[in-house]
Amino acid sequence: MSRSSSRALLALTFILIAGGLLVLNLGGYLQAAEGMALRPLGALQGWLSQRVTAVQTLLTSPTDLATLRAENLRLEAEVARLERELIAVREQAAEAEVLAGLLGYARTRPESRYVAARVIGQDISPFIRSVWIDRGSDGGLQQGMPVVTERGLVGRVAEVYSTIARIQLITDPQSSVNVRLQTSRADGALQAQLNGELWVNAIDQSASVTPGELVLTSGLGGAFPSDIPVGQILTVRKRDYELFQQAVVQPSADLENLLVVLVITNFQPLAPPGAP
Amino acid sequence: MAYFAGTVVMALLAVVQSSLLNRFPFLNGTANLILLATVSWALTGRVTEAMLWAFFGGLFLDLLSGAPFAVSSMALVAAVYLASLTEGRFWEAHPMAPLGVMAVASLVFFALTMAALWISGHPMDPALAMTQVVLPSTFLNVLLALPSSQLAGRLREAAFPPPVRMG
Repeated sequence: MSRSSSRALLALTFILIAGGLLVLNLGGYLQAAEGMALRPLGALQGWLSQRVTAVQTLLTSPTDLATLRAENLRLEAEVARLERELIAVREQAAEAEVLAGLLGYARTRPESRYVAARVIGQDISPFIRSVWIDRGSDGGLQQGMPVVTERGLVGRVAEVYSTIARIQLITDPQSSVNVRLQTSRADGALQAQLNGELWVNAIDQSASVTPGELVLTSGLGGAFPSDIPVGQILTVRKRDYELFQQAVVQPSADLENLLVVLVITNFQPLAPPGAP
Repeated sequence: MAYFAGTVVMALLAVVQSSLLNRFPFLNGTANLILLATVSWALTGRVTEAMLWAFFGGLFLDLLSGAPFAVSSMALVAAVYLASLTEGRFWEAHPMAPLGVMAVASLVFFALTMAALWISGHPMDPALAMTQVVLPSTFLNVLLALPSSQLAGRLREAAFPPPVRMG
């Protein structure tokens, strides 16, 4: 057998094995194995994510960086120790700030129970918008639970393993959220484009929608609790010959820079992730 | 040994991709470290290893993704196989060859991934996917193709020096 045909055979073998794994996974037979494999990967992901966040925080604070540099000049002997200390303190301060915000949010909604989780990674596929958090079924998380920050809706739990979980963001094209516009009281369906842009579709033509209007979850469909802030209307597209209006929404939560999120654990969703 | 070490490296690259690289997208695309590593290794002539690494690397990628499991694995193996077809061609030794191979491998990888996502019911706008993800990611992969193939070449020479005939 020639070298090229043996390579083609090898490639075909791997592709067939991968196909077999795909089928097994679709049947749900690989859940336990995936959970086992994700345990060390998740731990490593969390460790690396914390370091990256700490360095990122340090680099994006020019004033403190200048102070740090001056200190470095004065205390050259202790530079390594001081840098480590500063990074740790800054990270804790940033985290405390986020947690204080989340605590404030939780106090405004005492009827919900929350589990706070740290974001440890993002989805590898550029076509899917989701993040990984460091809490899983061991922490009481279940598929479909809504996820928020102090600013508003983030998404919901799409996959749960023992120690980590994947959150499908509202900016994922597969996500769909039933929403209500606060002032006009019009209902609509929030859907995302591949570039992360959020659109509210199916708004009644008669509704008077204005930019700046707040968008809240409506609770319809039972996938999310009602009245969680989702975002604000940026622009409205209304054409007389169309059945519905559309509006572009600026999300309330900073979905590009999530550090810590809250999972609402006492809400039982009726619809699986992906359904509105 | 190389098979095992490479598989561990693939796991580490997948974690780095998820925790670090995806924080710095270009438009909505990012370079794919595992694609770069496996295609570059295939270009050094170690195709069997590259294919095995692509297989496991793809599984690691899919573990950390919402994409259907093993889809990246198939796409990466196909991309590495395509890269292996350059062996023995007259332009194989051209210094710019990795750029072309990486561009083709990257496009094939994304085409297969998009097709799989579309089949699995994930909404896919081909025009938006092309301009926001595929082209920016391919650009980054091509940009990193030369350093990564140089690095792979050096690693190959260090780990598997060519036999020298004495006498």
